[in-house]
Amino acid sequence: MTGNLQMAVQQSSPRTNRTVPTQENDLAIDADNVHVTYDDGTEAVRGVSLDVAEGEFLGFLGPNGAGKTTTIRTLVTLLYPTEGSVSINGYDTTTEPQAVRESIGYMAQETSIDLELTPRENLRIACEMYGVPSDERNERIETLLDLVDLHDVADKRAETFSGGMQKRLDTATVLVHRPPVVFLDEPTTGLDPEARLRVWDYFEKINSRGTTVFLTTQYLEEADRLCDRVAVLEDGQIIAEGTPESLKDTVGRDTLTVAFEQPTDRQKRRVIEAVRAVQTLDDATVESTPSGLAVHAPDVTRAATSVFEVLTDADVAISAFDVDSPTLDDIFLSLTGDDESAAVESEIDSTRAATQEVPR
Amino acid sequence: MSPEIEGDEVSERSVTQKSSGNNAVVDLRISFKRWLVKTSRNPYVTFTSLVQPVIFFVLMAEVLGAVAAGALTQAVGGNIHYVTYLTPAIMIQSALAAAAVSGIGLVDDMETGMFDKTLISPMGRGAMFVGKLLSELVRIIIQTLVILALGFGLLWMKTGGSIGSYIQTGLAGMLGIIAVTVIFAGVFMAYSNIVALVTRDREATIMIANLLTFPLLFISSAFVPLDVLPNWIQTLAIVNPITYGVDAIRALMLGQDVFSVFEITVFGGLWNTVVPAVAVLIGFLLVLGSVAVHLLNNASKTEVQ
Repeated sequence: MTGNLQMAVQQSSPRTNRTVPTQENDLAIDADNVHVTYDDGTEAVRGVSLDVAEGEFLGFLGPNGAGKTTTIRTLVTLLYPTEGSVSINGYDTTTEPQAVRESIGYMAQETSIDLELTPRENLRIACEMYGVPSDERNERIETLLDLVDLHDVADKRAETFSGGMQKRLDTATVLVHRPPVVFLDEPTTGLDPEARLRVWDYFEKINSRGTTVFLTTQYLEEADRLCDRVAVLEDGQIIAEGTPESLKDTVGRDTLTVAFEQPTDRQKRRVIEAVRAVQTLDDATVESTPSGLAVHAPDVTRAATSVFEVLTDADVAISAFDVDSPTLDDIFLSLTGDDESAAVESEIDSTRAATQEVPR
Repeated sequence: MSPEIEGDEVSERSVTQKSSGNNAVVDLRISFKRWLVKTSRNPYVTFTSLVQPVIFFVLMAEVLGAVAAGALTQAVGGNIHYVTYLTPAIMIQSALAAAAVSGIGLVDDMETGMFDKTLISPMGRGAMFVGKLLSELVRIIIQTLVILALGFGLLWMKTGGSIGSYIQTGLAGMLGIIAVTVIFAGVFMAYSNIVALVTRDREATIMIANLLTFPLLFISSAFVPLDVLPNWIQTLAIVNPITYGVDAIRALMLGQDVFSVFEITVFGGLWNTVVPAVAVLIGFLLVLGSVAVHLLNNASKTEVQ
């Protein structure tokens, strides 16, 4: 099965068999200063440039209305850029849209499958639409059913499926022509946590076979877990870009909180001064908390060692301690400025995620 | 890229090459098959668009048939049973019921993202839409034939009349009836798809279809001869496609000129009805059809709107 799997998701090579691509490089996605302005004057995308290497997993983050969907629709040839250019797998989206279309898979925010049909029938139609030769169809369909674990229900109508199963089927239909690049527009919005974890597995599997993945999401946890690199979009512009780790490093500091067994003011004062005096912690800030102290430092491991040494020397009994590293959420909030409204929005999003489990 | 991978790619080359070779006929067949299967999985829809006209058929034949005899003698001559007179109206009604909801599938595809998914596939855009319309026409033709058979059944029970007296023009007339039904259905399919593309809303598409189609049936020559109806209805019936659809089919069944809105004598016999009525229907089809195609092109164009 593993062999088949590999075949199904392995990159095909759109470059070797058609007209000479406009540019010869190893970029799967190459967007250059893309602007998209709607007829009513709305500038949805204002100068987005992106380089995504073959095999990379890129996360495209941003709040609702940031321009994520407009960007992804521009990349997959559903919109032409008003200004700037996009090339996918070396093909220009404006002059060679057909070549681009044959070399990409695109999964829309909505679940785009025929609910009246079974997974096998859905996949068969997708194969036909992409002109997969008839002698290869059966094998590809079976392989993809295996990939998304829908073999057991392959002949049941999709309308009886849960939202997660429908999304998995949608994922499979996007892969029938073995596209080297896959675009996923908020693929886990509305899925329950378990379904989300499962879908993430498939995305990782697809990417691990060499397929480039471009994923938009509102969930930073998702980007953190899946992506090699993330770009943060706000108001149609990329305001930050880098690995999840490097983004955390730029903004975030680890926090070590320690609770004492007997947190008297005198004891706290004494200890905090001693911690502040430690040479290795010159970057850190130390503050008093009701139950003990909190240390904010760039590297929590180094800080913890020093702090525990000081506390042991001072004969302070520790009742509990906790280490908190910044999440992408913290970064996101600090990047997008208006902390308060952003925090409210992210809370709404998580409520929505929790209440949207009902399958359609 | 490593040479080994290049080696693999050579073997895949043929695959991708073939994939770009779908032609319009293949695309048409894919789309046609998809919609046919989808429809067959929802027998409820076909059932209702057939059952409603059938109930109407039986009720109208019984209720109106009892009083329409006089009007009928005055309009088309004495020896025509009301069932025969009513059958074309019911065929048109059933075609109307099916055609007027044609836009729903389009709205559904737009709401689920299937529309976009098809747009970015290598499928031909025209083919995918025409395939959908063809699958609907197949359904409408089947419904028409069922009603034609039912009408004969009713007539036979009432009078024991022969098939020859039921369809005066025989097999050629039957083919003509199907052709008229298809053109007529095209008019309302275009109308429904226009509503769908403008509203982009499933409920609105159904509501507007129902709102307009039901009164239209009564403001026409469908159920009783126009001559006996009030003047305002006679006037409105002139701009109602249903009048032309019903008159054309009725002329083919009765084998005589039954045109109810204009007096035309240049073609002779039943052709005095069929030719102008079909011409008017084709006119409606061209106008509404080009609006629908224009809107569809707008919906699928890649320049930003």
